[in-house]
Amino acid sequence: MPPKTPYLGEFEYAVLLAVIHLGDEAYAVPMRELIEGRTGRPVARGALYTALERLEAKACLRSRMGDPTPERGGRARRYFSVTPLGMRALKSTHGALANLTKGLEAVLEQP
Amino acid sequence: MTPPTVPPAVAESLLRRSIANREWRDAVSGDLREEFSDLSRRRGPSVARRWYWRQAVGLALRFTTGRLIPMAAPRRPMTIPDIDTEGRSGWTWLNDGRYALRALAARPALSGAIVLTLALALGANATIFNLADALYLRPFRFAEVDRLVVVASAPDNDPLADRSSVAPADYRDWVRESSTLTDFAAADFWDPNLSEVDQPEQLAGFRVSPGFFRALKTAPAIGRTFLDEEATPGRDRRVVLSHGLWVRRFGADPTLVGRTIRLNGEPHEVVGVMQPGPSIPYGAEIWAPLAYTEEEWQERRRGWLLVLARLGQGLSVGTARAEMRAIVARQRQQYPETHATREVSVSGFIQAMRDAGAGPFLAIWQAAAVLLLLIASANIANLLMARGTERQQEFAVRLALGAARWRLALQVMFEGAWLALLSIILALPLAALGVEGMRRGLPPGVLRWVAGYEFMRVDWAVLGITALLGAAATLFFSLMPALQASRAAVSDTLRQGGRTATVSRSRRWLGTALAAGQVALTLALVVGSALILGAVDAAVNGVMGFDKHHVMTASLTLPDRPYAEREQRRQFVSRVLDRVRGMPAVESLGAVSFLPYAGSSSSRPIYPEGVELTPAEVRQADFQRATPAYLETMRIPLFEGRGLTDADHEEGRQVAVVSRSFADRYWPGQSALGRRFRIAADAPWIEVVGVSGDIMHDWFMNQRRPTFYRPYAQDASLTMSIVVRTTGNPLDVAGELRRAVAAADSDQPILELRSMEQVVADKVSGVNYLARALAVMGGIALLLALMGVYGLIAYLAARRTQEIGVRMALGATRWQVITLNVRQALVITGLGLVVGTGLAILLGRVMASALFGLVSLDPLTVVAMVVVLGLTALTAGYLPARRAAKLDPTTALRTP
Repeated sequence: MPPKTPYLGEFEYAVLLAVIHLGDEAYAVPMRELIEGRTGRPVARGALYTALERLEAKACLRSRMGDPTPERGGRARRYFSVTPLGMRALKSTHGALANLTKGLEAVLEQP
Repeated sequence: MTPPTVPPAVAESLLRRSIANREWRDAVSGDLREEFSDLSRRRGPSVARRWYWRQAVGLALRFTTGRLIPMAAPRRPMTIPDIDTEGRSGWTWLNDGRYALRALAARPALSGAIVLTLALALGANATIFNLADALYLRPFRFAEVDRLVVVASAPDNDPLADRSSVAPADYRDWVRESSTLTDFAAADFWDPNLSEVDQPEQLAGFRVSPGFFRALKTAPAIGRTFLDEEATPGRDRRVVLSHGLWVRRFGADPTLVGRTIRLNGEPHEVVGVMQPGPSIPYGAEIWAPLAYTEEEWQERRRGWLLVLARLGQGLSVGTARAEMRAIVARQRQQYPETHATREVSVSGFIQAMRDAGAGPFLAIWQAAAVLLLLIASANIANLLMARGTERQQEFAVRLALGAARWRLALQVMFEGAWLALLSIILALPLAALGVEGMRRGLPPGVLRWVAGYEFMRVDWAVLGITALLGAAATLFFSLMPALQASRAAVSDTLRQGGRTATVSRSRRWLGTALAAGQVALTLALVVGSALILGAVDAAVNGVMGFDKHHVMTASLTLPDRPYAEREQRRQFVSRVLDRVRGMPAVESLGAVSFLPYAGSSSSRPIYPEGVELTPAEVRQADFQRATPAYLETMRIPLFEGRGLTDADHEEGRQVAVVSRSFADRYWPGQSALGRRFRIAADAPWIEVVGVSGDIMHDWFMNQRRPTFYRPYAQDASLTMSIVVRTTGNPLDVAGELRRAVAAADSDQPILELRSMEQVVADKVSGVNYLARALAVMGGIALLLALMGVYGLIAYLAARRTQEIGVRMALGATRWQVITLNVRQALVITGLGLVVGTGLAILLGRVMASALFGLVSLDPLTVVAMVVVLGLTALTAGYLPARRAAKLDPTTALRTP
């Protein structure tokens, strides 16, 4: 039986989108910058790590360790990518939101 | 140059230690490092370093409280060690400790309140302990100080006796005859005026026998101490300076040794500078050889020397005391004329030289601080028990799953230990603040005389006592909740299904007893501080017999060499008074030998005419020398006869004005006018020409001492205070007073220039200080006790929500519901006040005896405090009771 499509919280939704945006460069530092830059809201590092951990536990994300680099004091980066389940969750959340907003474009896109 | 790219090592290691998972550890610390080097490039390394610390600590806290990485599944409840680890890795202390920390972090408001309360109480205790340790227990910390003794011609059991009391001839006998004491040394007060410097100053000094430094086992930093042959008249113009004086007045000039400085108008060669260290005795900054003539050494009647000695190898103070008593017993036989009533005391150096008055003060403080800690602990115990009741479910589940009861108790103890640890960490900076505040609160003029002042700081002893008290408090306040946890009834609790119920009888009684205990201790503390505040008020604003307002004073001591002749002293005083008298703001002015409230006085034995007195019957009276306008300037009333006048000059009749208590003592029921007395069996007669009001010369003794005033013209003293009554602010004439003294003698320093109000305030500053510190502690205690009563009633009412709902549904009125809870508040308050009144009376008695009759147990104060505390405590209990009664019955019933 395929796992049930999980429900995504708002912040989890944002994290998954950021991972897709960043592609091969998806690790915590640029992710945080991207979310902050695009949403204009501050993102606590602790909160980001929590969300990443939780999404991985829900099997929406998978991670791999990169190569150690000297600028990180010989520590490797942890890169994330979205799993098929994560993609489904993203689509279903997006779809749900899109359904809700349908017909309200006039209101929502007013300056 | 590239900025450093390495973050603070300690912070990084802290962060890395806090993350259990290795991959996460690398990923997180690597991310942080990357951002660190970026920030360091853009904003500079110091900004980056601060940023890194913040991030690392924040992340580490998140990781260790277990909310992040160690949790495998989302939103899993807190890990309970029994279930989590038993059967796998077994039980570890670490797990219990970590779980306890998490349990505390889950209730930050409660934990914060507890930590703050405990830290305040511990901080107060640490501060007071440091004062007691520095000023009373160990004011002198140099090598072998415990082998040093002070020998005095004073009774053994009187800690306030003057130690500077040994006659020179007695001293010589002792040095010769004693076999238990070695390295005898004698010291005599010598306060020389330092001149030919930018500002003349009176220094605190002593003339000491050459063996003085040997007895103390101290060595000079530069130069030498005194040679034996320098203890002869004519060869004694040598001085040794304290390190402090050398730095303060001579800019630590290394070439000073060998040069001369001018003291009392005469050159003295500086032969040495001591090491930094305690100023012995009594804040001495300068020492000169004690050089008596053979004739002076023969003096046996009067004594003024301070005598130090070392205990012989392996001997105790008791042995030395026994021997000295035998020697003095022999002297009594040998010199019945002078030694009939002579006594001797041998006491340890610290006991003799510390500030004897500080003992009772510090004891009262320490008692108050311990009371505060008890109140805080009782408060915390109640809070923890309330919390324990909330957690009955958790405990029941754990018991049902097979946890040992002692594990639950240990769990609660662990939480207590964490709270204590955090409180101790927070208490230390609070204690440092407290000690610093205490240092600043001391009047600067007094500092030099406070032995052990330099030890007022947070040290290992403070750390130790804080940790000890913290541990004791923890045991006290977490033992009962721990027992409660271990007794949790499994089936009942589980069956109740978490619904609230009335608190068990024993639990309620325990809570009541704790809250009542807080009320009782608080009552004792507030009564204590009210009594002292009252005493201070009486001392500052009470009846003194003189008017302290609008009076400026200047105290000084003339050196005896240029002022050997009385005439010279008279001229000096006239020159100063004449110059100041011309000022428009001056109403009247005079001079007196000893200013009231300033701390020193002089007394003489009185032999009234026509009465034969045995030596034991002769009593002393305070001896003052005053210029004619002194009494008027101080507004001391004249009841009979006349005051002193300019006609009372040296060749005139020898006269005196006596105080009323003097007149009543020697001529009760008769007029004292025209009566005569003398101040030595062979001195000339002095005639009483007037009777003045009594004054409080020294509030500390709290009694009017019989006093006689002699005309300054007939008996000019070296020590004097100029007093000036002004029409406006007394400080306005300070500058002119200073200039007048400089004009009369440019080498003459003024010891102290203060308004009379300031003199009074300075004198009571010690007790004032005590009163304020006690008032602060009383205030904190009151707040804690009210919190305690409020918290308990609110908690009990909350536990009864269901019961209240049922009662109201069945027709109970609001008032009936309120009384249900208020009854408990009444019991707490009543019980607390009854016990507290007993405690307060006990404390009042102790204070009355410790503070030498300064404080008296005033029943009105006790009653007033009982009423105030009773009303506030009842209010604190009534508020939550009323809130509980406002509940809507249907909501109350539905509440889970």
